[in-house]
Amino acid sequence: MTQAEIKLCSLLLQEHFGEIVEKIGVHLIRTGSQPLRVIAHDTGTSLDQVKKALCVLIQHNLVIYQVHKRGVVEYEAQCSRVLRILRYPRYIYTAKTLYNDTGELIVEELLLNGKMTMSAVVKKVADRLTETMEDGKTMDYAEVANTFVRLADTHFVQRCPLVPAAENSDAGPPPPAPTLVINEKDMYLVPKLSLIGKGKRRRSSEEDATGEPKAKRPKHTPDNKEPIPDDGIYWQANLDRFHQHFRDQAIVSAVANRMDQTSSEIVRTMLRVSEITTPSSAPFTQPLSSNEIVRSLPVGYNISKQVLDQYLTLLADDPLEFVGKSGDSGGGMYVINLHKVLGSLATATLESVVQERFGSRCARIFRLVLQKKHLEQKQVEDFAMIPAKEAKDMLYKMLSENFISLQEIPKTPDHAPSRTFYLYTVNILSAARMLLHRCYKSIANLIERRQFETKENKRLLEKSQRVEAIIASMQATGAEEAQLQEIEEMITAPERQQLETLKRNVNKLDASEIQVDETIFLLESYIESTVKR
Amino acid sequence: MASRGGGRGRGRGQLTFNMEAVGIGKGDALPPPTLQPSPLFPPLEFRPVPLPSGEEGEYVLALKQELRGAMRQLPYFIRPAVPKRDWRRLPRELKIRVRKLQKERTTILLPRRPPKTTEDKEETIQKLETLEKKEEEVTSEEDEEKEEEEEKEEEEEEEYDEEEHEEETDYIMSYFDNGEDFGGDSDDNMDEAIY
Repeated sequence: MTQAEIKLCSLLLQEHFGEIVEKIGVHLIRTGSQPLRVIAHDTGTSLDQVKKALCVLIQHNLVIYQVHKRGVVEYEAQCSRVLRILRYPRYIYTAKTLYNDTGELIVEELLLNGKMTMSAVVKKVADRLTETMEDGKTMDYAEVANTFVRLADTHFVQRCPLVPAAENSDAGPPPPAPTLVINEKDMYLVPKLSLIGKGKRRRSSEEDATGEPKAKRPKHTPDNKEPIPDDGIYWQANLDRFHQHFRDQAIVSAVANRMDQTSSEIVRTMLRVSEITTPSSAPFTQPLSSNEIVRSLPVGYNISKQVLDQYLTLLADDPLEFVGKSGDSGGGMYVINLHKVLGSLATATLESVVQERFGSRCARIFRLVLQKKHLEQKQVEDFAMIPAKEAKDMLYKMLSENFISLQEIPKTPDHAPSRTFYLYTVNILSAARMLLHRCYKSIANLIERRQFETKENKRLLEKSQRVEAIIASMQATGAEEAQLQEIEEMITAPERQQLETLKRNVNKLDASEIQVDETIFLLESYIESTVKR
Repeated sequence: MASRGGGRGRGRGQLTFNMEAVGIGKGDALPPPTLQPSPLFPPLEFRPVPLPSGEEGEYVLALKQELRGAMRQLPYFIRPAVPKRDWRRLPRELKIRVRKLQKERTTILLPRRPPKTTEDKEETIQKLETLEKKEEEVTSEEDEEKEEEEEKEEEEEEEYDEEEHEEETDYIMSYFDNGEDFGGDSDDNMDEAIY
C-alpha cells in the first residue's frame, strides 16, 4: 500500500467512522495481518475500543479475520475496499436509475450497514418510503421484497458467506472464530419469506388517519415476537457487479462518441446478453452470433439484418478493436474485447490529462509517440511539425512528469552516452499507475481542503444551524412574519455571503472528488485487467 | 587510472554525451541555477475543465453529502471514549455498570497459557478485558481486595455485529464462570501477557 493510499484510507475512515476506527484501520493497513492483543498494544488503545472498532470494520467488510494455528485469530484490513467508500453515491445512483427509489434505498441501506438480513432491509426501506409518501398511503413489504429479489437476480446484491452448519457437534470445543463459507450457487438465492406488512410511519398519530380497520393493527405486534425466518442469512452489496455495470456504461458511451447512436445500441445489446454468462474479469465476452443480436435488440430498434451486419462489420474493422469477429457461423460470431477497451479508455484518459495539463501541442506530441511507439528526438520534431526548441521543451516537461519515458538502445557494448540511441516511448501501464497514484493524492488533498474550509467556518456554520432550528420551531408553533424576519436578521449580510461562498466551495470540492473517483475507476479497471492475465 | 588525474588532465570539462543533442547549442546561455525547491503551488498554465453539472451530477453530489451526514449518526460511528473519572469523589450510582459482589478477584492466566484449549482463549480475552476495566477504575488503590466487579455476559455468538447492536454503554457486559488466579495485577502485566 502506497503512502498516498494509506493517507486516503485514513481520511475516509475518519470521516465516516470516527477517530478510533480510523486508528485501528490504518494500523492494520500498514502492518498487515495482526492478532487482537498486538493491535491493542501497538496502537495504545484499550482492548475495549479495539474490539468495538474491529466489529465495525468487519461488519462493513473492511476487515477479514482468519484462524491460524494454536487458535490465534488474525485480522487483516482490505485497503482497496476502504477506497470504495468514495464510490458509494455512484452505486446508489445506479441502483436508482435501474430500480427506482425502492432499489436506491435498498442499496443505500446495505451500503450504510454493511450486512443485513433481507427482512431487516425490507422493513427499514418500507418504513423510509412510507415517510416520504403522502398521508394515508403506506408501502407494502411485498413490493420492496420484489425489488430485492430482482436485485438479487441481477446479482447486484449477494449473500454473505455463511456460518457452516454444525455437522459434527462432538468435534471438540468450537473454534474461536468461524470459517465462513459460501457456495457459488447459493450466492443469489433469495430465501422464501412471506413478508406481510406495511411500512410504518414514525408519527403514531398518522396511523389513525390511514383508515385501516382497527382489526388489522393488532397483527403487527405478533410479527415482532415471531422468530425471524431468515436469521443468519446476511446480504451485502455486490460491488463487482456495479463495477461491471460502470464498465459497460463507459464502453457504450465510448462507442457512441466514436460512431453513432445505433452502434452504441448494438454494443449495449451485446453486453446485456452476455452480462451473466461472462465472468467479470474475462478478456472478451462470449461470442454472440449476429442472429442472436438481431433477436435481442430493444423493441424500438427495428433495423434489418443487412444493416446490422454492416454495422457489425464496421465495428469489427475499427482500429480501436472494440468488437472483434471470432467466427462465421450463425451469420458471424462477434465478441467485445473487454481488455482492449479498458486499455483504450485508459489511454484516452492519459491523453486527456496531458492535453489539459500541458496544452494541445504537447498532446499532439504525446499522441504521436503513442502511435509510433518509439521515436528519436529529431523524428519527434519532424513528425509533429513543431520547432525544435519547443518540441524539446515539451518532451522534457512530459518526461519529468513521467508521462513519457526514455528507452536506451546502445550501439556499443560500453553504453557510451554519445553512442547510444535515446528513444522516447510511452509505457501505458506505468503511466497509468503513476496517474492513479496522483489521483489518490488529489482526492486526499481535496478532502483535506474541504475539512479545512469547514473547520475555518465552524462558528458560522453552527450559528446558522441554530438560527435555522429556531426558525423551524417557530414556524411549527405558528409565528408571525415579523418575528421570523427578526430571527433571520441575526445572520448579517456579509455572514450570509460567507456562508454562500463556503457552500459553493464545499460543493465544488465534493464534485471534484466524485470526478476524480471516476478516473480512478477507469485506471484501476485497466490495471486490474493487465494483472489478471 | 592514470588518465583520471583528479579531473585536471586533458579532457577536463568534457561531457560524455553530445551537448547539441540535448538542445544546448554552443554559446547558449545556460538556464539560471535552481537555488530553492520548486514552489508549493506552481503556477497553473491552463484552467481546469469545468466540473460536470446537470441533474445527475447534482443528485450524486447531494447523495454524497447526505451519506456523510448519515454515517455520522449511525451506531457505527464510534466517538472517543468518555474520559476516566475519579470514582471515589462521585456518588456510586453514577457509575454505569452493574456490579456484583465477589470475594476473589479474577486473574490473568499468565504462565499457564499453552495447555489451554481454544475455547478458554476467548474467555481469557474477555477476562483480560474485564481486568483492564477494573484497573481503570482502581486509580491508586493499593488494596488487593476489591468490593465490586462488573458483570460481563459471555457472548457465544459468532457474528460480531450482535455485540455491537446490543451495547448501550461504553463497556461490554460479560459473565464469569469461575474465578481463576492470576499472578500480579500491576499495569505492567498487560505487556507481558500472552505471546
